Amino acid sequence: MNNKRLFTTMTALLLIVSLMAGCSGNNKAGNGAASSNAGKGGKEKVEITAWLTPQWKGVLNASEQGADYDSFLKYAAEKFAAQYDKYDASVKVEVIAGDQRDQLLNVNLSSNTPPDVFFESVFPMGDYVHRGAMVPLTDIVDDEAKKDIDQSFWDAVTFGDDIYFYPFQHNPGTLVYNADMFRAAGLEKFVGSENEIKTWTMDEYQQILDALKTNLPKDKYPNAYPMALYAVNNQGDTWNLAYLRTFGSPFFNNEGNIVLDDEKGAKAAAWLKKLYDGGYTNPGAESVSSNDANAMFQNQQLGISFTNPILFSNMKTNMENGTSPKFDVRLANIPSESGDPLSFTYVVGASVFQSGNAKKIEVAKDFVKFFSTDPELVKSSKNGIPVRSSVAEELKGENPLFAAYDANSKYLFNFTGNVPGYSQLREVLYPELQALYLGQKTPEQMVKDYQTNGNKVIEQNKAGSVIYNK
Amino acid sequence: MSVTKRKKKMEKFDFVSNVIITLFAVLNLFPLYWLFTSSLKNSSDVVKMPPDWWPKSITFSNYVDIFQNQPALRWTFNSIYVSGATTILVIVIGSMAAYAFSKINFKFSNLIYIIFVSSLMIPKEIMIVPLFRIVQNFDMVNAYGGMIWPNVAGAFGVFLLKGFFDTTPNALREAARIDGASEWRTFTRIMLPIVKPGIGALFILNFVQVWNDYLWQLVVGQEKLMKTLMVGTATLMQDLNPNFAYKMAGATVAAIPMLIIFILFQRYFTSGITAGAVKE
Repeated sequence: MNNKRLFTTMTALLLIVSLMAGCSGNNKAGNGAASSNAGKGGKEKVEITAWLTPQWKGVLNASEQGADYDSFLKYAAEKFAAQYDKYDASVKVEVIAGDQRDQLLNVNLSSNTPPDVFFESVFPMGDYVHRGAMVPLTDIVDDEAKKDIDQSFWDAVTFGDDIYFYPFQHNPGTLVYNADMFRAAGLEKFVGSENEIKTWTMDEYQQILDALKTNLPKDKYPNAYPMALYAVNNQGDTWNLAYLRTFGSPFFNNEGNIVLDDEKGAKAAAWLKKLYDGGYTNPGAESVSSNDANAMFQNQQLGISFTNPILFSNMKTNMENGTSPKFDVRLANIPSESGDPLSFTYVVGASVFQSGNAKKIEVAKDFVKFFSTDPELVKSSKNGIPVRSSVAEELKGENPLFAAYDANSKYLFNFTGNVPGYSQLREVLYPELQALYLGQKTPEQMVKDYQTNGNKVIEQNKAGSVIYNK
Repeated sequence: MSVTKRKKKMEKFDFVSNVIITLFAVLNLFPLYWLFTSSLKNSSDVVKMPPDWWPKSITFSNYVDIFQNQPALRWTFNSIYVSGATTILVIVIGSMAAYAFSKINFKFSNLIYIIFVSSLMIPKEIMIVPLFRIVQNFDMVNAYGGMIWPNVAGAFGVFLLKGFFDTTPNALREAARIDGASEWRTFTRIMLPIVKPGIGALFILNFVQVWNDYLWQLVVGQEKLMKTLMVGTATLMQDLNPNFAYKMAGATVAAIPMLIIFILFQRYFTSGITAGAVKE
C-alpha cells in the first residue's frame, strides 16, 4: 500500500514538475536576437537590454518611495520611449552585482547575447573595449558635451581615437580622517574645514602619523592605529596604486607599459614598508581587505582611511541614523612629495555592446545619449560627483563638496592608463604588496617584479587588443 | 582487569569523548550563531573589534529591507522550487537508471556506466558556455526549465543509487520475477522501498548542491523576478560598501530552508550515506 502511494506520489510530482519546468518562465525578449516587429503607432518595435551595477538608489535620491538601484535607468527608459520617434523602443533594465559582472558578461558575450547598454564604472570595462566587444560612441558626443565635461574625463573614456563610454558622474578617491581623533592626539592644526579636502605635505603627514601613534588616549581609542593599509585582494587597490606614485613615479609610459621600476617607485614601496613596519598602519595588512579597513575606520580603530563620495555619504548617513558610532569625519588628499595632491577618480558612464544587430545598436546609442544629456536626468549625477560643470554649478548649494572636488580635478591621474588587460593587472599588484609587507621581497625587488609581471600581462593583452592592432 | 575497573575506565573515556564531541558541536554551530546574531546588528557592529557576542541593540531592518523592498519571497520560492523540482527529477530519473545499471544485463552496460560516471570529473564551469547556448536555443533563459533540466542531467544520483541497488540481493528480484511481477513492478514495489535511505541521502545532497549552485542560476536567471535567493541577495551589494549585516540576513534566510530539509531527512541521510558503502 505504502509502495503504491510512494509510486503514485512520485509520478504525480514528476509530471507536475516536468510540465512547470518546461513551460514556466519567459525569455520572449531574448538578449541578442533581433526582437523587431510592428509596434505602437506603426513603428517598428525594438527592445534593448540595459544592465547596471548598484550605483545609487532612486531616480534623484534614495529617499524616494520604492527607491532602488534600477530606479534611475527605468525612469530614463520610460522617458526615452515616450519621446523616441525612430522606433517603438523599450528598454529592459537589470541590476547585476559588481562581482557578477565578468561572469555574466563573458557567458553572454560567448553566446553573442551581450546586454545592449551597460552602466558602470569605466575602469573594469576597458578590457571589453580592447576585446572589440563595444562600439565607439564618438559620433553621439557633441561639442556642447565636450565643453561641459572636463577633458580629463574624456581622456579616461577614450581608447585609441574613439570614445567608448559616455561620462555621467564620477567618484573621486580621497582619504578620510577622524577629526575627533586628530584633536585627541593634539593635531588640531592639521584638521581642515568641513567642506574642504585638506592637502598635507609628506612631512605633515608623517607628523600626523607619529602623533596618532603615540598621543592617542588609549582609554578612548583602544586598539587604534594611525592609517589603513590593506593588500589581501584587488579591492580598493586604486589607493595602493596612488601610494606607489607618492614620490613622482608616472607609473605608465606613453606606450602603455608600467615604468615603476625606478628610484621613485622603489622609494614609494620603501615608504609603505616603513609605515607598516613602524606600526603606523593596522597590523596584518597582507590579510586585511579594504572592506575590513573601512569597517575599522567606522569603529574608530583607524585615524585615516580611504573613501569616495558614495562611501563618505553612506558613512555620514549611518552616523546620523545611529547605525554606526558618530564622530567628526573629514576629507583629505593623498599626499605626495611634490606637494600636489594625488587625485584619481572612478568615472561612471554608459557603454554600448556590439550585439551585431544594427537597429539595437542604434537604439542603444540613442538611449545613452538621451539620459547622458537630458537636463533633468543628468541631475541624478549628484549621487556621485557630476562630470558636467553645469550640473556641479547648479547643485553646489546641495553639496558644498562639489567645489572642492572640482578644484581637485586638475590633479587627476588616469590610474588604469587605459591599458589592455587592466583587470588581470590588478591580480598582479596585491601579491607583490603582500610579499613586500611580509618581508619576502625588498622594495626594489617588489617594484621590479611588479613591472616585469605587469608588463607581461599588458603585452599579452596588447596582442589581442583591437585598439593596439587597428 | 576487573569489570568495575573497566567500566570506570569506559566512563572516563565516554566523558572525554563527550567533551570532544561537544567542543566540535560548538565549533560547528558557532558560525550559524554568528550568522543569525549578526543579521540582527547594524553593519558596522558586525565587524566591530572586540566583537559583541550578542547584539547590543537588536534591529530587524535588514530583514525588513530584504522582504519589503526586494522580491525576496519570490527569490525564496524560486530557490525552493528549483532545488525541489531538480531533486525530485534527479531521484525519479536517477533511480530508474541506477536500477537498470545495477540489475539489468544489457549490451555495453558497463561501458555506458563508466562513460556516464566519468562525466562527474568534468567541472561544470567548463560546460557553462555551451550549456548556456543550448538553454538559449530551447528558449529557457529566465525560465525555471533552464535552471532545472541541466542539473537533472547529472550522473551523481545514478552513481549514488547504483551503490544502494548493488547491495540488494539479486534473489529478491528473481523471486519477484518468478512470482510474475513485471520489471517495473519489481522496481517500484520491491527494490525502490529497500533503497529508501539512499533516496533520502540523495535528496539532501542534491537539494543542497542545487541550492548552492550560484553560477548557473546567476547566468540563467537574469531577470530580477527569476533570480534565486542567493543570486538576488548578491545583487544588492556594492563593491566598496558592503552591508555586512544585510549579507548575513540574506544568508540566514537562505540557510533556514536548508536546516529544515536536513532536520526532516537527517535520519535517511545518516543511515543512507553509509548503507550504500558496503556491498554484501
